[in-house]
Amino acid sequence: MNDPIVSVRNLSKTYMQGKIPVHALRDVSFDVDKGEFLSIVGPSGSGKSTFLSMIGLLDKPTTGSVFIDGIEVTKATDSDAPRIRREKIGFVFQHFNLIPTLSALENVDLAMRFARVSKAKRRERAVELLTQMGLFDRMNHKPSELSGGEQQRVAIARAMANHPAIILADEPTGEVDTKTRDMIVELLHGLSENGQTILIVTHDTAVSARTKRIIRMLDGMIESDTKVEGY
Amino acid sequence: MFDIIFRNITQRKLRTGLTVFGIALGIFAVIVMGGMSEHFNQTFDRSISLTADKIRVFPEIGFGGGNLNESKAREVKRVPGVADAYGLLQAALDPESLGFFGGDVVIGVEPEKFPSLLKDTKLSEGRFLTVGDGYRTVLGSSVAREFNLKAGDEMQIKSKRMQRTSSITHARNFTVVGVMEYTGSFFDNGVLIPLNIAQKFYNRGDTVSFILAVPDPNVDAEDLSKRIELNVENIKTFSPEQLRKQIEQSLIVFTLITISAAVLAAIIGGLSVMNTMLMSVSERTKEFGLMKALGAQTRDILYMTMGEAAIMGVLGGICGIIGGGALVYYLNDFLASKGTVLFSVTPRLLVIALVFSILLGVLSGLYPAYRAAKMSPMEALRYE
Repeated sequence: MNDPIVSVRNLSKTYMQGKIPVHALRDVSFDVDKGEFLSIVGPSGSGKSTFLSMIGLLDKPTTGSVFIDGIEVTKATDSDAPRIRREKIGFVFQHFNLIPTLSALENVDLAMRFARVSKAKRRERAVELLTQMGLFDRMNHKPSELSGGEQQRVAIARAMANHPAIILADEPTGEVDTKTRDMIVELLHGLSENGQTILIVTHDTAVSARTKRIIRMLDGMIESDTKVEGY
Repeated sequence: MFDIIFRNITQRKLRTGLTVFGIALGIFAVIVMGGMSEHFNQTFDRSISLTADKIRVFPEIGFGGGNLNESKAREVKRVPGVADAYGLLQAALDPESLGFFGGDVVIGVEPEKFPSLLKDTKLSEGRFLTVGDGYRTVLGSSVAREFNLKAGDEMQIKSKRMQRTSSITHARNFTVVGVMEYTGSFFDNGVLIPLNIAQKFYNRGDTVSFILAVPDPNVDAEDLSKRIELNVENIKTFSPEQLRKQIEQSLIVFTLITISAAVLAAIIGGLSVMNTMLMSVSERTKEFGLMKALGAQTRDILYMTMGEAAIMGVLGGICGIIGGGALVYYLNDFLASKGTVLFSVTPRLLVIALVFSILLGVLSGLYPAYRAAKMSPMEALRYE
């Protein structure tokens, strides 16, 4: 059996709200295998987004560890974190978070600039990804000229630019209509079929229902971890 | 990354324009005030270098107030180590107005002392004064330009003489026999006439304003200066070094005033950059958070934000230099027709202004850039 691509061990996060401690995550542990397409669901405040931030090195846990590709990323120093984010993680956000002054192509290109990829290779990869996302004709358009679905596809292309070990998507369909939602979920599903590991945080049961594994969270803990059969 | 920096600057045209204008004003002030300071420094340097080998001898009671008899020149000349000594009589060309900047001066000098006084200064036309010349004059380049005079023209010179309680103004035409080339020294504003004519015209008897003592070769001017004071009564001397120090002291005050005004203006320009960059960083909080999530390092964000500030600094610097240079050029052209020049835009000043503008941009961008670079990506992404 292959080693898991992501391992979470006894992860806890406690915030102080004034003098009152808030336990956002309590002793969470699980593994994610390569190519898995899983969703984390749960009500607001259940700790889903906090959990995603810990894996994405956007925040540090109070206790516990996260391993990506065998590297304990929770021990990364501030200077190591950008490299790990570049090499191991791709983010897709609810609000797309594209840079409004840059075209679709440049938004995808930007992720590779920080990885010091040469200009020619950056362009080649960005065109390849945007073509894969069905945006070949739209790559020179700015975000304001693109529909919500198109923007989210640009964001997915950007997340994949540096060949990450895992794509972390935080409510990726939260801002789009149902038709676009279905198209985005299909797209992510197709990527996972090709071996890309994808972890989605969502409220939408229609989205989670189409993933291969559903982790349900409640009050900072894993309530259930279900493999969806036959998808 | 430069293309992104450039795009960020050009995306916000009005704001960038106002910031660049703020810096440009500061650098404009640096060029104008610095140009003035440079000109004064250059003029004093050139003037001193023309007479650096000579010791000045003044009457003991003051530079202009006392009378120094011409015979003192002979006494000075007798002091061992003095090769030559001669008196000069100095008076304002226009007795009614004593301008602060480069007023024209009539200098009475024995014609045979011209080579010693003016060293290798050449004439642009005509000839120098010769022994036996009467009401003849050789003009400095600025005076000739101011009054539009050439060799052969007549120039009216006025003298004011006190008679009992009233003063009477005399006027007399002098024939211009020569015009000197531009020297960049006080001599450009000089009207040189024979000493005996000057003494007569200004009713000064046998007196002179001061004496120049030329030391023998290999004689230390400082020592000789002290020896002259010991050997000749009722005089005081200024060695070239003392004179340089005194002029430098007064120049330092002038330079400090002009540079302070310029630096103040430039700092205000710098604050405008800081304000713009802080606003820009605040507006783009989410963008920086995103870049960090995409793997941008602190130095990438620093490079981007400080690059923007530095480019605005350079643009402001270039605009300020062009604007300041243009003003100085036209002012100099205008003032030259009035017989004076006030500014010198030297290569050194240009380099200082450009470096200053870049530093101003970079330093003003430092704090906003630091704030942007230190943002937690998590908080930045949540920022609304």
